[in-house]
Amino acid sequence: MRHLFVAIVGLMLGAAAAVAVLYFNPLSEQSAAQPQATDRVLHYSLPDQVLEFAVGEDASLFGQDTGQDSLWEETIDRTAVLGLLLNDEANQPVAIASRLMATSPETDLLLRGVLLSDHWLVTIPSEGTLFVRAESNAWPFLKNTLVPVWYLDRPWSGPAEYWPTVGPGADDSGVALGITGTFRGSEGSVVEHYEISALDPERELANANGELHLRLAGPQVAAQ
Amino acid sequence: MKTVFLLAILGGFGGTLAGAHFVPWLKHARLPSHTSVIANGGRSEQFLIRLPADRIAATDAEAGGLRSAGATGTMVLPAQFVAEPLLVEHFKVRDSGGSVVGVAARHWNASGAAPTTTWSLLIPSRGAIVLSAPGEARSVLETALRAGGYSGGKAWDGQVAVPMIPSGEVGTVTAGTGEFDGLAGNYTEAWTVAAVDEDGRLSGTVEINTITSRPQ
Repeated sequence: MRHLFVAIVGLMLGAAAAVAVLYFNPLSEQSAAQPQATDRVLHYSLPDQVLEFAVGEDASLFGQDTGQDSLWEETIDRTAVLGLLLNDEANQPVAIASRLMATSPETDLLLRGVLLSDHWLVTIPSEGTLFVRAESNAWPFLKNTLVPVWYLDRPWSGPAEYWPTVGPGADDSGVALGITGTFRGSEGSVVEHYEISALDPERELANANGELHLRLAGPQVAAQ
Repeated sequence: MKTVFLLAILGGFGGTLAGAHFVPWLKHARLPSHTSVIANGGRSEQFLIRLPADRIAATDAEAGGLRSAGATGTMVLPAQFVAEPLLVEHFKVRDSGGSVVGVAARHWNASGAAPTTTWSLLIPSRGAIVLSAPGEARSVLETALRAGGYSGGKAWDGQVAVPMIPSGEVGTVTAGTGEFDGLAGNYTEAWTVAAVDEDGRLSGTVEINTITSRPQ
């Protein structure tokens, strides 16, 4: 009996040490290389530029009610669909984006973090449509901001900024493909950046400003 | 006793790290794929959208017509976009057996030389497939419905099938991820409308038929 008790205590201590290692593990906080100054940047702010947000019942980060029209089916309950308005450098609306997101099976809490598969369809009416594919690591945001402030009632000490893109392209950037219009046939890379500017669980308030840094071949993506 | 304690610590430490690394924490539920092999060795697969149940949202711009009018989730566009020939729709997607397997976005844009349609279909357990085609003419659905006896503001039922890729044109598989990565192929898209209610809400089915193969 004493051996069993000692073994259980040992297992718990070992597991606790491993959790501490996972928490401070730098491997799960990697991100893509910083974008270049010549990249085209599309901006969005949350929640102001959200056109529509449907979220699966098991994907609700903020614990919000997913509503009657939620993505409740078992096959899509870890999925979200976000309609977004994107602004150009002059802060004028220039594009509509559909962002289809799902938790990624590549998630690896030891080596890569909590990954989301991001699929953007971005249409700039006068130019065409782009498809953007990115793996985004949500672990730094979950660990440093959401869980402490939203769920553990720690004081908000923001703003906090994140570079979530971790692949699947070269330099851990995302991949952009031109589908129609002047973008057709072009390929490039993409990196996302966002800053949480306010987070208040009591008022159910979460504000953020995001940027999509695009680098595509051709004159259509020159910095404006 | 000391040995048991040390071994237990090592076991707890190693087991937790192994679990963090190897356990598929965020695996998606998967249904059997309804695919069939066709004569040339390619793979045929059909995706369905049942309206209005599977519509998540649509933009409210003028180009939307009936496809926006009856939508429960409306994406309100700013003034700059209202007159643009642009329609963005979000749907749930079903397999040919009628089970929901994914979500999709459809972008129709007629601002360029010719209208274009782009689909992004995400099947979480399998990956994403991107489809692209010359787009349908503006208000093609309304035109076909009026020819079938529909008039605005009144309920209508019947059967009108509208191919959404212009005759003689081909829709292509443009990109893919996961299981769809590296596939080439083509697709057709048809909307079959069975009813329109007084509020303009469409009932019907969108059929997307894909034929894909892996280039040698």
